[in-house]
Amino acid sequence: MEKGAARAEWDSPVQFILACVSYAVGLGNVWRFPYLCQMHGGGGFLIPYLLMLFLEGVPLFYLELAIGQKMRQGSIGAWTAISPYLGGVGLASVVTSLYLCLYYNIINGWSFWYLFHSFQAVLPWSTCPLSANRTEPLEECRVATPTQYFFYRETLNISPNIETNGGIHTGQALCLLLAWVMTYLFIVNGVKSTGKVVYFTATFPYIVLTVYLIRGVTLHGAVNGITYMFTPKMEELANPSTWINAATQIFFSLGLGFGSLIAFSSYNQYNNNFERQAIIVSLINSGTSIFASIVTFAVYGFKATVNYENCLDRLRLLLMNTFNLAEDVISQDNVLDWVEKLNTSYPLEFAQIADKVETCDLTKELSTAVEGTGLAFIVYSEAITNMPLSQLWSVLYFFMLLLLGMGSMLGNVTAIITPIKDFKMFSGISEELLNGVVCIFCLLLGLGFTTPSGNYWFTMFNDYGATFSLLFIVLFEVVTVSYIYGIKRYIEDMLGHPPNWYWKIMWGGVSPLLLIALLIFYIINYIRGGTPTYQAWNQELGQAVVTEYPVFGQVFIALLIVSSVSCVPMTALYAYCRRRRPSATAVYT
Amino acid sequence: MLEKLLILLFASNVLAQVCMPDAPEAYKVRLSIKTALGDQAYTWNDNELYLFRATLAFAMRNYLSGQLFDVSNILVCNETERVSFWFMVKSVTNPTTLIEKQHVENAIKESRHRINSAFLLTDQTLEFLGILPTLASPFVPATPPWLIAFGVVMGVVGAGIVYFLVAAVVQRKRKKTLDEEEEAKGATENEIAGENLDGIYNTSFSDDEKVTEM
Repeated sequence: MEKGAARAEWDSPVQFILACVSYAVGLGNVWRFPYLCQMHGGGGFLIPYLLMLFLEGVPLFYLELAIGQKMRQGSIGAWTAISPYLGGVGLASVVTSLYLCLYYNIINGWSFWYLFHSFQAVLPWSTCPLSANRTEPLEECRVATPTQYFFYRETLNISPNIETNGGIHTGQALCLLLAWVMTYLFIVNGVKSTGKVVYFTATFPYIVLTVYLIRGVTLHGAVNGITYMFTPKMEELANPSTWINAATQIFFSLGLGFGSLIAFSSYNQYNNNFERQAIIVSLINSGTSIFASIVTFAVYGFKATVNYENCLDRLRLLLMNTFNLAEDVISQDNVLDWVEKLNTSYPLEFAQIADKVETCDLTKELSTAVEGTGLAFIVYSEAITNMPLSQLWSVLYFFMLLLLGMGSMLGNVTAIITPIKDFKMFSGISEELLNGVVCIFCLLLGLGFTTPSGNYWFTMFNDYGATFSLLFIVLFEVVTVSYIYGIKRYIEDMLGHPPNWYWKIMWGGVSPLLLIALLIFYIINYIRGGTPTYQAWNQELGQAVVTEYPVFGQVFIALLIVSSVSCVPMTALYAYCRRRRPSATAVYT
Repeated sequence: MLEKLLILLFASNVLAQVCMPDAPEAYKVRLSIKTALGDQAYTWNDNELYLFRATLAFAMRNYLSGQLFDVSNILVCNETERVSFWFMVKSVTNPTTLIEKQHVENAIKESRHRINSAFLLTDQTLEFLGILPTLASPFVPATPPWLIAFGVVMGVVGAGIVYFLVAAVVQRKRKKTLDEEEEAKGATENEIAGENLDGIYNTSFSDDEKVTEM
């Protein structure tokens, strides 16, 4: 009687939209987009960004939602239903999602670590621990900054390179465990629990971002950052990498190709109006990126101004102490004039301190652009230590990071579990047990990222685990579904009206061409770049040093890419062989 | 008159001879009053300098107990408008010798806090060049506070999971017993009570005529 059990569904279309928003709006909106904006000409970057949104972002998003809603199965089942030879596309999605799940929750673990450490009177990353004789800070902390020391030494306990390794960092392991336990709590009952959680994970980050926006723009020097960001440098538009970065950012920000969108929309009702929902979610995602970058740049401006003023202060102190001038003679405003004056009147004494005289440049401070974990955990935490009531802002900020990361994790894990559940082999297992097994499996493998060299492996997964494979997968999706399968007639069936000419043009020509161009660019870049490199933290210098990957690292990178991409031809071959045998009576669904 | 001049000359001679910057027993002091106190800053004048010499004498008395240092034992020279100067300490027992640097350093380190407080300054704004302040070691609680927060959150999440799992198991069991009851009831419902399953032939509707009438 239970064989034909109805597929679980979202309680309402609102839950579906919120789930998609929660998945798409993630850490990349906060730490990648502002960096790109800064690198590629500030306000001018919005032009290629919004153009790419309409040329490839929205059409591809719409396409994935259509596939899921029509097939009502996860990625593997959906693609196998389209054609048994294409089951590999779904499998490649699942493999890529698995890699993502392994390393993404580590970031949530770090967010937990920082969040818990914010409940102290003095934030631990604001001061250096003292050396043995208590006269000065620890050396590593002195050459770097306290925030860098806290991240690289106390949080990661990072090794000098990827070859050196050690034991698991207990604190990190505990935080990773908590991250997975929380993920399990959110998905334990499948869509029923996910649907309720997304009300919170999708909306609360916006509240925090708004609070931070108000705090940010009222900070001293925030205006410097915002004007720097929004002054468009139109000459950057002539640079092809601006357009390529815009295209890749849109692509990865929407989370296409992982199978999460297919999984989410497979729980929709057949006639759900996903056309409107696709446009809404894509626009919300891009809008959030722009919103987050305003906040980031306000904070950047504050931090740069503080650093600049500290630099001026140090210079002032140096001049006062060397030339024994009274305290109120030199102020921050006329420091630089005094430098000139003293250089001309006392050239000999000035030459003695010349190596200690720093050049203080506000624009240079503003142009030090950082992205990724460095921005989130080092730059932002440093800015927070300078704010009044820093513990409160710290708690709010890391809680927001946690929600953004958890929201994306929901989509990542659902992308793995939904296809597995669709297999008849596993349909007998209870939902909770299956979810638990997947979570434990990912947790155990993810513990490898908590070792001293774990951060280097994390970077490797982040840079190579999903980038090339996704472009490949989505290109396959677009070409097969629009040309071979003919999705257009099914959309008419689901929505009640045929797709607009806009969609047809995009699927038919523009988006595939863009994807091919991106793929070619990636391949060229990889070949031209020589040996892949990573940033290794050097303890003595107190900064990151560019190092080449060793041979086993490069082999692993190749494995990462090949393992997901090769699923497509291998499954096609397998299906072909099964078809050839006369006894082939395989039933896939 | 002449005596006063001679005394002044003698005194300044002594000072000029003994107190020299960069001497092996001399320390340089630097005060940053405006940085520390802002609007509340007091102006540095001879009276403040006298207080300084008195606090230093106090520090030396505390360190070398028994020897009664006085303001006259502290020699000061090379004052600048930065508010920095050099000082040296003359011995009590032998007025022509100077106290060694190490003793002065230890004395100052012991009474550093008192010296700072006398001037409303801190280790960073009242600098003795060459004497590094002993930084206060940070307070380390027995249990790291982050573990406490971690324990709370882990407990809540764990309780949530247990609740959901138990609820799911209970629901499933309830459904199973409901199904079983339905099956048991359904078997008797579908049977018709009675032995004659074909029904009773009602003769009132049958016609004896074998041939239908037109």
